[in-house]
Amino acid sequence: MSLKQVRLGFVPLVDCALPVVARAKGFAEEENIDLTLIREMSWAAIRDKLSYGVYDAAHLLAGIPLAARLGLGGMPSQRIAVPMALGRGGNAITVSTRLYQRMLEADPAAMHGPRGLSARALKKVIDEDRAAGRPIMSFATVFPYSSHNYELRYWMAAGGIDPDKDVNIGVIAPPRMFDSLRNGWVDGYCVGEPWNQRAVFHGDGVIVALKEDIWARSPEKVLGVREDWVQSNPDTVDALVRALVRSAEWADQPENRTELAQLLSGESHVGASFDILRASLLGRPVLKPGDNPIEAPDRHVFYRYTATFPWLSQGAWVGTQMQRWGQVDATVDFNTLISDIYRPDLYRRAVKGLDVALPHDDWRVEGVNDAADRAFVGPDAFLDNSIFDMRSFAGVGE
Amino acid sequence: MKLEDFSILVIDENPDRAAIVERGLVESGYTRVSRIGTSYNLVERIQALAPDIIIIDLENPDRDTLEQMFQVSRVIARPIAMFVDQSDSNTIREAVEAGVSAYVVDGLRQDRIRPIVEMAISRFNAFDQLRRERDEAKAKLNDRKLIDRAKGLLMQEKGLSEDEAYNLLRKNAMKQNRKISEIAQSVITAFQLEF
Repeated sequence: MSLKQVRLGFVPLVDCALPVVARAKGFAEEENIDLTLIREMSWAAIRDKLSYGVYDAAHLLAGIPLAARLGLGGMPSQRIAVPMALGRGGNAITVSTRLYQRMLEADPAAMHGPRGLSARALKKVIDEDRAAGRPIMSFATVFPYSSHNYELRYWMAAGGIDPDKDVNIGVIAPPRMFDSLRNGWVDGYCVGEPWNQRAVFHGDGVIVALKEDIWARSPEKVLGVREDWVQSNPDTVDALVRALVRSAEWADQPENRTELAQLLSGESHVGASFDILRASLLGRPVLKPGDNPIEAPDRHVFYRYTATFPWLSQGAWVGTQMQRWGQVDATVDFNTLISDIYRPDLYRRAVKGLDVALPHDDWRVEGVNDAADRAFVGPDAFLDNSIFDMRSFAGVGE
Repeated sequence: MKLEDFSILVIDENPDRAAIVERGLVESGYTRVSRIGTSYNLVERIQALAPDIIIIDLENPDRDTLEQMFQVSRVIARPIAMFVDQSDSNTIREAVEAGVSAYVVDGLRQDRIRPIVEMAISRFNAFDQLRRERDEAKAKLNDRKLIDRAKGLLMQEKGLSEDEAYNLLRKNAMKQNRKISEIAQSVITAFQLEF
């Protein structure tokens, strides 16, 4: 049987791990897929190349398929399907060492309390600046429709900051973040690893909140494929999902994480130093230059806790954040739209016959940290203990 | 709006390619063409230039920054939309394949924009062709240097004539099914080892 060619675009981040593992460890080949990986430095480029057929599949931000369907940003509507998620975790909010010092002086209690609430100290710094007539600070995320943008805003809003008025939030592509902080063009950012650890290792930044401090179960990257490709290549979609799910299982084993760090450090993959990648992948990140690493076992979750399942409720939550920050009209019904984009049916079809534990439903009430199935779905607290029930916000029946 | 009234901005990290695109546009009658490379005050510079059309290489990481700018419409006076009209899918495909993307002020008629984008596509393709040819020429020159050096070593160390040295390299290349330059590289390495 001849191998089926699949071209997949990715952005250099730790969470491009699954496609990299699928190719390097032979999981793609076992599914008769000849997987070609192409590194991209921008989300706009990867979106366009997927949309217009240069790529068959792509490592995407969870918000991109939603934004593409709605034709946001002046783009005509594109039908991108999400047959699986590519794991969870990996983001963090990093501020310059100078801003960190100011936050520490302004509100030591907040800086020593839960990291999810550290924005209360930032609020005090913003108030000081305002009283002194200083210009507002600048922060960066990686794309308008990124989980990073929604996490940074969630964190700020919980600290009493209005992210649209009290700060500037701009966009910088992930590999350029570190230089921007180092050169003082931004005061802080939210980005995926290794671009936070890199700032800490070089003494330029301090991590003030991890993604899991903001919402433990929050969604991250997804696999995006064009809907017409799904229709004309159903067997290839199944095979690709299976290969990536098996890669996730491999990547989640603690004993494989050092090898994974080695794999990702290559210039054709992430191209960051092995030590930085390993610290993050072993769940032992350093938050402040010179500190000992902390224990953060869920820093990168690839397989456990249903991390590859495309939960409708996680996609719908992304939609609510787009509405919260005025990117999308409040009348858009994401509960209906999401099941047309996120495709748990494709995931279930693909892994049939594999030993992959599946949830009973395609959605769940998010934010219930003491749920009966916690061992299966993982910790699930929001920093403000909020609950997200997708049925309640647009009247979708059970 | 006459041709020369369009303000066109070319953003490219490659100054040579940007120059080729700019010249193509100017020669076609567009007089208001500016270009910038990578810049950390991109937003301010674009605001100052207020272009009707932005041509930018598709893979430029600055595009992520641009799209944020266009989404937050209060940042710039006029909303800008990406040039992609569903009815124009051939041009779009050609643009993506050539590595060109474009953003235009909302409301500009598609038939006024298409020639500009098509000009950019043809210039990008021409630049690619030039670059390929230059790379090939460079590789050839490099090969010739290696062969000359290996010949020199064989003549000096083994007392061969120039023709004999070349024939020896060629014979081995044919026998091993490799390029003469590769054999030349092996010869150079081998002689370096001895000293």
